[in-house]
Amino acid sequence: MKEDYYPWGGEFTACSPDGRVAVVLLNIEYTPPNTVAIYGSLKTENIGIEKIVANVISNPHIRYLIVCGDDIRGHRSGSSLVALQKNGIDEQNKIIDAPGAIPYIENLTMEAIGRFRNQIEIVDLLGIKDKGSIDKAVHDNTVKSVLPYGEPYIAIRIKPKTTVNLDDKRALHSKIVINYMGKVEKRGE
Amino acid sequence: MFSFTKEQEILEISDTKIGGQPGMYPTVLFGGMFFKGEPDYETAEKYLNNMLDLSKRTGNPAIPDLFIRKEEYIEEITNFIERVLPENQPFSIDVTDPQVKVRVLECLHEKNLLSRTIYNSIHVGITDEEREALTKYTPEMAIIVAFNPKDKSPDGKIEVLENGAHITDIGLLDISKNLGIKKILIDTAALAPGDNTGAAIAAIPVIKEEYGLPTGCAIHNVVEKSKWLNDFESARKTVDASSNVNISLFGGDFAIFGPIGNADIVFPTVAWQDILISEYTENYFGISPDEYHPRRKLF
Repeated sequence: MKEDYYPWGGEFTACSPDGRVAVVLLNIEYTPPNTVAIYGSLKTENIGIEKIVANVISNPHIRYLIVCGDDIRGHRSGSSLVALQKNGIDEQNKIIDAPGAIPYIENLTMEAIGRFRNQIEIVDLLGIKDKGSIDKAVHDNTVKSVLPYGEPYIAIRIKPKTTVNLDDKRALHSKIVINYMGKVEKRGE
Repeated sequence: MFSFTKEQEILEISDTKIGGQPGMYPTVLFGGMFFKGEPDYETAEKYLNNMLDLSKRTGNPAIPDLFIRKEEYIEEITNFIERVLPENQPFSIDVTDPQVKVRVLECLHEKNLLSRTIYNSIHVGITDEEREALTKYTPEMAIIVAFNPKDKSPDGKIEVLENGAHITDIGLLDISKNLGIKKILIDTAALAPGDNTGAAIAAIPVIKEEYGLPTGCAIHNVVEKSKWLNDFESARKTVDASSNVNISLFGGDFAIFGPIGNADIVFPTVAWQDILISEYTENYFGISPDEYHPRRKLF
């Protein structure tokens, strides 16, 4: 099962597959101890958060998500992640009360977001960059006696093999036609 | 190499032309400054002068893209614009924080710099305060980033331009026009590896044929975010610079090419591509290059 963990990829380092803790790094040079399940940086308040959610829920052992460092200016990605766990998303797929510029979760189902909110407890260390404080939070949550959250949840499984789909044979895009010389026209005109 | 049926707009800011049919005007190149750490104005001036020199030698117009991360940098960076940039040199300001955006616009107005300003950028995260500031202090030109968090395909990019993809009340094109912005560039939003990055290139001819507006992107973003390239570190700059030729090849008008320090590689690389394109488009479509086009410097 462990080979199925973290199917969405991204900029992270996987450590202990049975670890209870994941760490999100914001504007910070910090390496967590290898007892954590996974750690990595977060940049954007939409696609970045989606990757974290999809990856974290793929490993049911992860129950705590430490968010530490200085939030990203403008994007406010860390605060938006905290808001997602706390409030979820509205009918427009916007993270409720998120302060980021474009805090929309468009590529995950409500079920996946619900799973994230139920499985994960956020440890909000926004604004904290001190190694000692973060190490302590990692340790305190790692030793907590808490069970894994059921089975892994795979939000989207990346296709394991090369596949070919030639159903769509339109050149470049459905809206335009390009003739043999390179002249572009809107299709149907 | 393409030619478009839709009439292509040619926009001008301080004598720099951007847009038109492929092969007509050279690709406009935006070099980024002040993206990392504390601004170093001495080094920035050297890089800027080097980029402007490359621009003269190749024929590709250069636009310094000035990143303003914090409010405390606004005064210094706008002073830099006044002090160092040639009088008629357009520039773009690249700001993420919505509050800082408002302050920057106020400052550019006070310093009478809005006529040379390309506002980078308007996107679906636009705030009410930003709209108000843009109405009051309207820049000469603005870049709309066609980022649609739900659909990164060319259709998704068109959706945010047309109707805001349910994220904004109306489409980004109408928002910009309602704010009084008359000159609009479209950035097709190149994201990170794995996020349908090819769509940022494929969307260029689609958007140009749909709207006739100058179109380009920062394909550099993809290279910058690649972890895979860490295994080929010595090739990173070459990959970064050469990825920009895709923009010109697909009919694009501008490239936001990342750090200004890469200008030495980017300018000749893109100029060379512009020459190849011009040779074809003149022969087949009868598009003669502008008098400052890189191809004019070949002979």
